[in-house]
Amino acid sequence: MKVSIYILTGFFCAIIESSILSFIPAEFLKPDVTMPFIVYNVFFLSPQAGLITSVAMGMIQEIFSNAPDGSMLFTKITIFIFALFFKNKLYINSKYSFSYICSGAVIVESFLYLFLSWLSRGESGKAENVLFFMLPNAIFTGFIAIFIFSFIGFLNTKFFVRE
Amino acid sequence: MKTPLIVIITAALVLVISFLIFTGTPIFVKNYTKTKVICGEIAGPILRLLNKPFLGAKHIFNTYINLINVKKENSLLKKKIDELQLDNKKIPELEQENKRLKTMLKLTESNPETWIVAKIIGEDLKNWFQCIIVDKGRDHGIKEKMPVMTPKGIVGQVVEVNKWHSKVMIINDTNSSVDVNIEGRDTRGILEGTGHTVLKLKYITKNDEVEVGDKLVTSGKDSIYPKGIPTGIIIAIDKNKAGIFYDIDVMPYNNYKRLEEVMILKKR
Repeated sequence: MKVSIYILTGFFCAIIESSILSFIPAEFLKPDVTMPFIVYNVFFLSPQAGLITSVAMGMIQEIFSNAPDGSMLFTKITIFIFALFFKNKLYINSKYSFSYICSGAVIVESFLYLFLSWLSRGESGKAENVLFFMLPNAIFTGFIAIFIFSFIGFLNTKFFVRE
Repeated sequence: MKTPLIVIITAALVLVISFLIFTGTPIFVKNYTKTKVICGEIAGPILRLLNKPFLGAKHIFNTYINLINVKKENSLLKKKIDELQLDNKKIPELEQENKRLKTMLKLTESNPETWIVAKIIGEDLKNWFQCIIVDKGRDHGIKEKMPVMTPKGIVGQVVEVNKWHSKVMIINDTNSSVDVNIEGRDTRGILEGTGHTVLKLKYITKNDEVEVGDKLVTSGKDSIYPKGIPTGIIIAIDKNKAGIFYDIDVMPYNNYKRLEEVMILKKR
């Protein structure tokens, strides 16, 4: 139940972002709204929930993006595996530590995409572009993650029994 | 809590499959595209629906801003009148542009069935890619590789079609390249996207005639864009760059960030 609600919220966040972006003439303001949901579900719910969320979010991003097929799915699943590995090593005690982890995940995702391009095609044509937007994306994702964490907290207290 | 083995195996499997999809393995690509299309067909109407309140909000915001700025605008307009009087000298050039635009309009009016006007309802979630989502899809006769433009010039091409919406790759995208001619000169090159506002005109050799301010039009040789459509204007040329080609910066006529509607050319 929780997982599907979070995935749906992520889906609506992505749609709203795509819609709003067509009105805002800013290239930098493109946070990855799907990342906080993956991180949250891996760290606070079960590994199964994290895996389902990663697949769903990867696909949602590909639907609303010109990203090559499979690329976002690959990066999101890899992020899921990394998050799973670091689950017991990193401690999220506030919305700020959550936002740092989300920012870090965005940076890792940028390098993953470059690695994937290099691995499969022997070149990273978008390398300059990906690196150029890496930091702004991480900063804005971290910023938006604070609100998403608070929103999930609100959903938990309002509709779900705390675990 | 220990991670169940089944989760790790499934994750590894999905990872391998996504890699195979990315590399273009036919069987995986075909199935994945089908799944993506189904998901897209669910998401499309929601995107269209959600876009409406934002469009309304934008309209209200613009009207409000307009009211506030009326006074400021008045004095600015007076200044502009003086500038326009100076600009009158540019009339012959504008006439030529007018002629070109009229030709485009005539084209639209004479063959309305060949053009589809579409509204922009969304934009790419990643700034690594430059793509817009328009509210016309398969049901409206849109197909992949159809050129997208405005009366100002080229916008891009359709890259993915769903039932109710389509994705358009902008000429600014790093994967985009357009075969162009320099208007009034016998010079041809490839206009490539950089991922940013300014584009690069490539393969113009140092013995070719080219100047800052030259206008580019499509050559029609890439079998995607029809011939003679304006694409952009040359804003900088690095003539000292090593090698046999110039390094040329081009500003496209369309700023896709400010577009609201586009025209899609139906191919017969």
